[in-house]
Amino acid sequence: MTGGRLHPFTLLAIAGALPALAWILPAPAGGAWTATVALVLTLTPGASPGLTSTGSSPGWRPGLVVLRTAVLTAAPFWLFLLLLHDVPTTIAIGLRITTMVASFVWLVAALQPARLVEAMVAAGWSASVAYLLAATLSAVPVLKARARRIVEAQRCRGLSPGGGIAARLRALRALALPLVLSALHEVDERALALETRGLVPGIRRTPLAPPPDPAVEQAARWALLLACLFALFRRFV
Amino acid sequence: MRSLTLESASFWYPATEAPALREVSLEVAQGEVVALVGALGAGASTLLLVAADLAPRVTGGRLTGSVARGDRSGIVLPTPWTQASGMAFTVWDEVAFGPANLGWPTHEIARQVDRALEQLELVPLASRDPATLSGGELQRVIIASILAMDPGLVLFDEPAAELDAEAARALWRLIRLQAKEGKAVLLATSALDALPDVADRVVWLEDGAVRAIGTPELLADVAACDAGLGTSVASVWWASGLPGPYPLTVAHALQRWR
Repeated sequence: MTGGRLHPFTLLAIAGALPALAWILPAPAGGAWTATVALVLTLTPGASPGLTSTGSSPGWRPGLVVLRTAVLTAAPFWLFLLLLHDVPTTIAIGLRITTMVASFVWLVAALQPARLVEAMVAAGWSASVAYLLAATLSAVPVLKARARRIVEAQRCRGLSPGGGIAARLRALRALALPLVLSALHEVDERALALETRGLVPGIRRTPLAPPPDPAVEQAARWALLLACLFALFRRFV
Repeated sequence: MRSLTLESASFWYPATEAPALREVSLEVAQGEVVALVGALGAGASTLLLVAADLAPRVTGGRLTGSVARGDRSGIVLPTPWTQASGMAFTVWDEVAFGPANLGWPTHEIARQVDRALEQLELVPLASRDPATLSGGELQRVIIASILAMDPGLVLFDEPAAELDAEAARALWRLIRLQAKEGKAVLLATSALDALPDVADRVVWLEDGAVRAIGTPELLADVAACDAGLGTSVASVWWASGLPGPYPLTVAHALQRWR
């Protein structure tokens, strides 16, 4: 079964359990195991790091791209760890951080915000809370797409993101400021827009098409929770 | 029956000293289309936000005077891409987002969504991904989304800005239809040529205050033409130095020439 077809709660449970186990299980074997699982998950079809819209368009991409995103995001942590610690500690913590990063990158790629909202509303959560969580998870690809547009706009104005360090720093400043300001501005706009679409506290949203939640997935989620608790118990008792 | 009543309403955006609205008094009745016209910054969009109970509740700021609403309102913002939910797989889902948030039963949601899609001629696009729509298509989807929530007071802020000429004409017809069905419509637009056929009354805003209220004939006044708020025909007449009163539409001009 691909990540995109699993119930959103199952995706969240996997993405939460893997980092938890990475820190609970003894290093480095535990971290190696969880990091491997998390990195393999990024290869599952249906994962997409290139979600360019605010969540409505899946825009599937090959899992390799997701894996690359996870590895490139985790790599700087390894570098800093190596500067600060000896090799065994670097490996122990690095594998745990890699698990966290890969799990999150996979979750963002595999989880469709609209399905999460529907699932949460069907489970009795407030639509506002569900939307907030879904919007947070889709923020990374949205910001990425926005950054790409800003870079293109700056190129049109003659600012090149390439060249020497000084030129790259100038380009970074020209990217960062509009990115942060436009993101802040969009928060206001989104709040206004969602009010106009009836997303206000106090009204229970009607679930339109809640994703199916098979008993086997529910059982798997409980199993993950129990596995984490058991591992924690074994670690300290 | 009044759907919206503003009495001496003034509004200040946060951290500003000059009011964006000054002592505005206005009534909009059910079945009536009222158009707000004015230069950029005249306060039309702000007036719509106040009417929609978004300002100051969501935007922040300060409101004085009184605003009374007889019906639930729905507002179409000028930027459809920000008003999209971003949580829909299809156009149908997008239009259903609002009604679902209102907690309506599923059959009522389906009825309102299907009706709105038909009204906006969006049925062929019902299964399309909203992210693949053009600006004009998205504008129509957002209008359908607001109408599907069945508001008694419908507020439009530059609803034709993203539309081509044919789609804009269809929209104006739809707005008249909304009024005929008993809804109150308050509309801010710079499409002045459409107003003689669409609006029952025109409100001319200047620096946040009401300068004049009247029938669409207001758009053929010398003062309106001086301010760049005349219809195309009236403005041509005015620019060519012909004597007033100016014709409002091509039909009026033809009558004058004959």
